[in-house]
Amino acid sequence: MGSVRYLPRLIPLNNDIIHFDNEDINTSPDSVFVHGNVLSAEVITVNYDEEKKNVEWHYALRLSALVDGTFRVEIDEAEPLYPRYRSMVALDGEPKGDVLKLISNENGKLTLKNSQGHKVIITAEPLKFEFLDKNGEPAVVLNDNAQLFVEPLKVRNGDGEEDIEGSLAENFKSHHDSRPRGNEAVSIDVAFPDADQAYGIPEHTDGFHLKTTTSGEPYRLYNLDVFEYELDSRMAIYGSIPVMYAHGPKRSVGVFWHNSAETWIDVVNYGEGNVVSSLVNLVTGGQKRRVDARFMSESGVVDIFVLMGDAPFDVYRQYSTLTGVTPLPPKFSLAYHQSRWNYVDEADVRSVDEGFDSHDIPLDVIWLDIEYTDNRKYFTWHPIKFAHPAEMVGNLTAKGRKMVVIIDPHIKREAGYFFHEDCTEQGLYIKNKDGNDYEGWCWPGSSSYPDFHNPAAFKYFAERYRFENFPGTNKDVHIWNDMNEPSVFNGPEITMPKDNRHYKPSQDGQDGLASFWEHRHIHNEYGVWHIMATHQGMLDRSDGQFRPFILSRAVYSGTQRYAAVWTGDNMAEWGFLLASISMCLSLASAGVSFCGSDVGGFFKYPEAELMTRWYQAAAFQPFMRAHSHIETKRREPWLYDATTTSRLRDAVRRRYALLDLWYTLFYEHTLDRVPVMRPLLTHYPKEEQTYTIDDTYLLGDKLLIRPVVEPGVTSVKVYLPGRESHTVWYDVDSFQRHKANGYFTQEVTIAKIPVYQRGGSIIPRKERVRRSSALMEDDPYTLVVTLDINNTAAGTLYIDDGETYDFKSNKFIYAKITYEQTAMKYIITNSGNYPTRSWLERIVIAGIKSPPKSAKLIQDGKSTALQMTIHRGNDVLVVRKPAALMAKAWEIQFSY
Amino acid sequence: LSDVPRPRGVSLSKASLYSPSKDFTCFDGTNTIPFSYVNDDYCDCFDGSDEPGTSACLNSVFHCTNAGHRPQNIPSSRVNDGICDCCDGTDEYAVPDTCSNTCDELGREARAQAQQLAELHKAGNSLRLELIERGNIKRSEMGEQLAQLEKDKIEALKIKEEKEALKSDIEAKENEALKVYREAEEKEKERKAELEKEELLKQATEQFNKYDSDNDGLLSVNEIRVVNVFDKNKDGEVDQEEIQYFFGDNENVDKDTFVSSVWSLLKPLLMMEEGMFRPEQDDQEEHDEELPHEGEQHEEEQHERDQEGEDETEDIEQHDLNIDDQLNDQTKTYDDETKRLMDEASEARRLYNDAERAVREIESNIRTIQQNLEKDYGLNQEYATMDGECLEHEDKEYVYRLCLFDRVTQKSRNGGGEVGLGNWGEWGGEGDSKYSIMKYTNGVTCWNGPARMTTVHITCGLETKLTSVTEPYRCEYKIDLTSPAACDDSHFIQQQQKKESHDEL
Repeated sequence: MGSVRYLPRLIPLNNDIIHFDNEDINTSPDSVFVHGNVLSAEVITVNYDEEKKNVEWHYALRLSALVDGTFRVEIDEAEPLYPRYRSMVALDGEPKGDVLKLISNENGKLTLKNSQGHKVIITAEPLKFEFLDKNGEPAVVLNDNAQLFVEPLKVRNGDGEEDIEGSLAENFKSHHDSRPRGNEAVSIDVAFPDADQAYGIPEHTDGFHLKTTTSGEPYRLYNLDVFEYELDSRMAIYGSIPVMYAHGPKRSVGVFWHNSAETWIDVVNYGEGNVVSSLVNLVTGGQKRRVDARFMSESGVVDIFVLMGDAPFDVYRQYSTLTGVTPLPPKFSLAYHQSRWNYVDEADVRSVDEGFDSHDIPLDVIWLDIEYTDNRKYFTWHPIKFAHPAEMVGNLTAKGRKMVVIIDPHIKREAGYFFHEDCTEQGLYIKNKDGNDYEGWCWPGSSSYPDFHNPAAFKYFAERYRFENFPGTNKDVHIWNDMNEPSVFNGPEITMPKDNRHYKPSQDGQDGLASFWEHRHIHNEYGVWHIMATHQGMLDRSDGQFRPFILSRAVYSGTQRYAAVWTGDNMAEWGFLLASISMCLSLASAGVSFCGSDVGGFFKYPEAELMTRWYQAAAFQPFMRAHSHIETKRREPWLYDATTTSRLRDAVRRRYALLDLWYTLFYEHTLDRVPVMRPLLTHYPKEEQTYTIDDTYLLGDKLLIRPVVEPGVTSVKVYLPGRESHTVWYDVDSFQRHKANGYFTQEVTIAKIPVYQRGGSIIPRKERVRRSSALMEDDPYTLVVTLDINNTAAGTLYIDDGETYDFKSNKFIYAKITYEQTAMKYIITNSGNYPTRSWLERIVIAGIKSPPKSAKLIQDGKSTALQMTIHRGNDVLVVRKPAALMAKAWEIQFSY
Repeated sequence: LSDVPRPRGVSLSKASLYSPSKDFTCFDGTNTIPFSYVNDDYCDCFDGSDEPGTSACLNSVFHCTNAGHRPQNIPSSRVNDGICDCCDGTDEYAVPDTCSNTCDELGREARAQAQQLAELHKAGNSLRLELIERGNIKRSEMGEQLAQLEKDKIEALKIKEEKEALKSDIEAKENEALKVYREAEEKEKERKAELEKEELLKQATEQFNKYDSDNDGLLSVNEIRVVNVFDKNKDGEVDQEEIQYFFGDNENVDKDTFVSSVWSLLKPLLMMEEGMFRPEQDDQEEHDEELPHEGEQHEEEQHERDQEGEDETEDIEQHDLNIDDQLNDQTKTYDDETKRLMDEASEARRLYNDAERAVREIESNIRTIQQNLEKDYGLNQEYATMDGECLEHEDKEYVYRLCLFDRVTQKSRNGGGEVGLGNWGEWGGEGDSKYSIMKYTNGVTCWNGPARMTTVHITCGLETKLTSVTEPYRCEYKIDLTSPAACDDSHFIQQQQKKESHDEL
């Protein structure tokens, strides 16, 4: 067996299989038992050499039934030499158990069942797990292809440089990996019967749905800072989320491979044209619907969650129940962000701030990249260029704006720098393979990296954010955690050597290899530790009062609980604009809803058309930040020609008009755990054409967005789903009504953003233009009602103070809004309240064929007659200034 | 003034358009609404004219009177957003006491500032008039110089023609006389080449026979293994690499091959062996050492002089001198008549070159003056005397140098060369402020970016000096320059009046 890095397709040892010892199951009641929600059993590998069974190795198997249709399979060595690493940050607490009932145990088959009616059949020899949906059909099968594998830890002789098998240490370019523990890889294969497509396992650039990998590289998950990363590639980039979904007309299911080490994933989609037909026949018996996958990681244990679905909604919820959701973000963070590497000094920040005002473009946040620091020492300010940070921040906050500054994990090794001296003295840095402080090269030059596994380092880092420790910051200064893959310029693949050492709590009898974790074990979760420490620090600095905003580049399961993410150092090219959609869709389905790309592209310069289209697309993506490389031409919106500037202004204003929709969607995400930005198949799971669409998506279940991502086009093809359910879609600009019927041709000008509101929905808007979102707080609402074929519609609205945790003590409004022909109602569903001064400015009802003759508002027992205008050309009725207060329930009655 | 009743946010000049006694028609005529809809916080007009005093319309304008200071128009989206935009606080009426009235204070400050500025312009104006006068003098002087130079040029051209005629005359004679000698020279050359070739063949054959120890007419690998001279790197053995060097892939070579290809590789080594010849670099080093040791200071001066010397006239002269030298070398073999002709021709060439140089110098001077005359030195030549004047500005990292109408450079204070931030391009202010901005373009190109450029923003000051240099955009520099040339009293007053009348709208 070779190294994991170079031989992703591990070949099992000849004659080795993994299975239950059949006799043991029957004769020894100790070897398999079900207790509560857990089945425990011993698994052995057997060598059949010379017609004789030789037991080779003992493993411990646990199968758990978890709440909400989820199972977990864990396989570890029965008695490992020392503990194997289990990812520590992916799960949002210990998963809650469901009931697991043993139904039968005969002929080497165990049948078990959870409370929802999902069955598991475990075949003993060879070992196989079949997970059946509620109809009793196999939905997920583990080890159908006999790729289950746990390489046992073995006693090493000598100094760790030579191996029993002679292939232990490894060289990559000039880098040497001592691999002190030897081989410790784990692997399993998963089959998804009836699946048309698989998706997930971000972060990659080859589109939303996964491609067959037999003739090419597998998908690789290993967080890396890739310079000028490529499109249409399965190469590893900044993020690694090992959750995969499989979808077909029958059901949606998923698996979550819980592992933080380098991971490779092979995929075979038997429905794909290029999969050899003999293989299709062999595996699926001619059935063209099936996807197989194989997960393999360099270390850890086999720990896989099976998400039984059965709708897309369900699998998203099941995954987010395990790993957590994005908590309600501070409202400003959903608005427009302006960044550049670098705004050079305080005067520059001031002029950008003023530029947005003089060009009447809303702006919420100005960002500072690494040059704001004193020679790239984090938690310091440049003594000349940023000599008055408090005053600078004050200038911004006076207009309701915020600032975000960057804090990377690399720490400059410079005598006299408090951070470095403290970490050195207190032993808080990651160690190299010899146990000394690891030194790598990054932005500041020679750098070391805090070892967040060490509680003292975590605490030290978090405390740096206290206002007294970071003078010039206040509650309105938020944090950007970049370079946290971690990026090491002179390291193997621009990251940290795998044999670096991380802290492990000292326990009895642990010394030598048992006394530390290697970087290889924890690599993909390092970034989460970084943002966790930041998150803790930001909570503590305001005594838990204000919601932190953090942006992270590294991504792993669990990132979503602490930070927003972006797609890293992209390029000012049309292909990267298109990729921003599929990359964020993939991340969103993997739990990370708060996603965006560098608007305009990081490298190179976007000409006017590309810049315009990027602003228009980003206006409808969750995180909207313009950012650019230090060597590129300046590109604040007013630096383009006046017409382009007005297009960019228009895109940003559209964003602000819909901020309350975004905010409501993010609130609802915390309740239903479904992505904010959704693939079409989420709501149209039986419509097969939607399965491969990744240039179009839904916001909630209300808006369909198909940004123009092609140069020089006068029309685009837009897919409108929902033909079977007679869905109608309204162009949000013209209120033109389209019946859902697959693709249609939308004519576009440079000003057009193809966006459609689903008939049957109600969307809140704030249409007054202010300088920042904070200044819109009291502004009135416009409700846009688009009618379905039954002339009804419904929507929701969430309102709170936008920045504190007071909503946890019920200081918010979550209202349900319904429209029927006779009445429109605004009902506050929660028992608390929020004293908003906002009021109802206007109601726009689209698709109204027979308008009412009169309308009256009823609020607080008072009745007021309302003015209405009907626009015959597009069947739009506008109700003028109902002026209802949004802090209380109201009703509008219509008479015909 | 402010007593005229009008809706909130409406300026005095537009007050008459809002009449409470009748329905209101939007300015664009698209809609007529009850007057009670004016400023009712709901937008009824596409042009925003019904809501001057609220934030309801995207495109309307809020007017604040700002009694005590300048009146102001702000986008009505700034009404009731919690920020005090008008000094009289009238834009924030929804929440009382949000803003205090600061107009009196600001007005006082603004007036004092305006007063100061007016005084500065007044004081600067007299300096500007001096600059204009001197500028005009300079220009007329340049005109006179140009006229004189044009005359000089005609004279110089005449002389040049004369000298050219003399030169070609004598050169023809010289050429005829030298023809005989040239032919003899050619023959001699051919003979020498023939001899050399023979000598080469002889030497090569000799050596070949020496190495061909078994006399089979072939030089084999084994035969040369024992010969020191083939040990190119002098490590004591003739290794495979060295064999490869001489023989290529051949096992052995015959005499012809040896003569034609191996010998040329071997000969230098042999000569070295025999001490006839030393590698060039050794010679060079020795030569350098012979030079008297000179201090760095001196070398730099030398370097500068060398650079100054790079002038086309001198190059040509150098070339001519070479011909003379070459001929002079062989003087002793010429007869007296030929020698005399050569001397005469040499003198005629010298005189012609002098005449030609004189013409070029005049032409170059004419070009310079013409260029300067074409330069735009401002509306009244007020910048004419500053052409070529250099000003410096230092910050923490760099020294910036602006040579007016020429170029801008930046030099790091930690050493390193000068970086060009742009060469004089044109005046770049807009409209009647054309002469407030100078553009210097086409500087050194930035990595991965555009060529550096600099804009110089000129404001009135009693002294011509740089007040700041910044790099607001990557590779685009901004210099602030004050100068009395920008102090125009009457223009300033005009501008102030214009500004105030604009505010009144």
